[in-house]
Amino acid sequence: MNQWEVFVNDVKELAEDTDLELTIRTLNPGLHKFTYKRVKCQVSTNLKKHVDQLQVRLGRGQLSNNRFSIQVLDEVQRMPAKYL
Amino acid sequence: MAAPRSNREFIEACIKSGDAVRIKQEVDWENEAGAIVRRACELAAPAPFMERIKDYPGFSYFGAPLSTYRRMAISLGMDPAASLPEIGKEYLKRTNGEPVPPVLVDKKDAPCKENILKGADVDLCKLPVPLVHEGDGGRYVGTWHAVVTKHPVRGDVNWGMYRQMMFDSRTMSGAVFPFSDLGKALNDYYLPRGESCPFATAIGLSPLAAMAACAPSPIPEPDLVGMLAGEPARLVKCETNDLEVPADAEIILEGEICPDYKVEEGPFGEYTGYRTSPREFRVTFRVNCITFRNNATMTISNMGVPQDEGQLLRSFSLGLELEKLLKSQGIPVTGVYMHPRSTHHMMIVGVKPTYSGIAQQIAQLAFGSKLGPWFHMVMVVDDKTDIYNWDEVYHAFCTRCHPANGIHVYKNTTGTPLYPFATPHERKYSIGSKVLFDCLWPVDWDPVNDVPTLVSFKNVYPQAIQDKVLANWTAYGYPPVK
Repeated sequence: MNQWEVFVNDVKELAEDTDLELTIRTLNPGLHKFTYKRVKCQVSTNLKKHVDQLQVRLGRGQLSNNRFSIQVLDEVQRMPAKYL
Repeated sequence: MAAPRSNREFIEACIKSGDAVRIKQEVDWENEAGAIVRRACELAAPAPFMERIKDYPGFSYFGAPLSTYRRMAISLGMDPAASLPEIGKEYLKRTNGEPVPPVLVDKKDAPCKENILKGADVDLCKLPVPLVHEGDGGRYVGTWHAVVTKHPVRGDVNWGMYRQMMFDSRTMSGAVFPFSDLGKALNDYYLPRGESCPFATAIGLSPLAAMAACAPSPIPEPDLVGMLAGEPARLVKCETNDLEVPADAEIILEGEICPDYKVEEGPFGEYTGYRTSPREFRVTFRVNCITFRNNATMTISNMGVPQDEGQLLRSFSLGLELEKLLKSQGIPVTGVYMHPRSTHHMMIVGVKPTYSGIAQQIAQLAFGSKLGPWFHMVMVVDDKTDIYNWDEVYHAFCTRCHPANGIHVYKNTTGTPLYPFATPHERKYSIGSKVLFDCLWPVDWDPVNDVPTLVSFKNVYPQAIQDKVLANWTAYGYPPVK
């Protein structure tokens, strides 16, 4: 199970059971904790629906009480190839 | 006492004078180190030198490097007990001289080249990048550092302290505002051409190099370091681009800024004492090479409520640079001071009020200058008011600033997204507002019959009476006044 975190301005941005594109960061312990990935994913308020868990922070870093489970479907590479 | 030439010499000098403490127990990079630095700032306590960091053997942290005037005095090679006016006078003396160009040293003489990571070995997570505040948008690589760039046409070098957040192992995002030197170069040159901009980030600088990176001076920063230190700064060529970086810095990150690609940055605890600027897609820094000293020390500035080095040093340098500007225009200023607790938002200017409109002239120059976006209040007092004494300044403000005639508001100026009072729209587009508090008696008032007389011990009693009372003060039964 992986732990992830996302920043949103409004929890409504996290529509359930639909494909979303989010920038999420890992909360897994280790040297890479808090590094980001851009992903396609689905989220659910049913914490058992997906294996991975998603924690939410709001615009100024406030931790939200809302919790989600998340399935990462794919990683999205937005960076232009010339910089890779 | 000579000015410390490196972060290491500075730490040793601070420990020797009692202005830094060695923390030998292991400290967590996630929040704990940041919390120690924050508390040290709020207590004006000695700077923490954290020698053991969880997960990162061999690295250390030095926090709150310049968050007291004592440490600022040490950085200039002065007595730590030097007063603020003495430090300011010394800064003006050194920075009014001839520029002192840097010298280029060989790689073998540059400690920052002791370890070099390139290609697949580049991973920012190999450095002890701290999570400075709970709830920050990321781990911040650059909180007390210099981002080194060179203008592509003019060739002038810029060292700026643009905060940098680790986005992933090779990518950082940073707050580079459009009115900054780097922001102008990106928007004017690199973005229209779709070219990347070479950069280097130097972390763990000598305190004077950090001071130069923070100062809004027109003098190129490497020359300014030499002027402040009294000897040339030692620079060395980067591994992967043509930039030159401080040879004695602890850590160097080399790479390119991607002007046409942005990633999220923030939120972050800021010098205003709030987390204000929104999480936004901001400037992207791609890292291609990391070099660092053996047993490298990462510097941490923890911005928040007063007082930290962001407030203290910016207040110091903004005030003194404005004083230079106003004097260059022939305005009879007697001093300029920003109290750090204003989070460098209020400029207090002392002036001989010799002609009408002088306060407006000062405000227009101040707000219209390159320094202007960083503060939004100017208070002008006369030359008899001690600008360093808040009690006197506050009294002048509350009694001489006419509510209808003395307060002048300037709308739709340049601002920053960091202003806590700004509307969300203003933050997004760096729109500001400014205000002048004119605390001068109008020059068209009769000085004898219209200007009120200040009723104070110093002002209303004959000198002979003052001397007598002072001489007899303890005889009257009062304890001595320090």
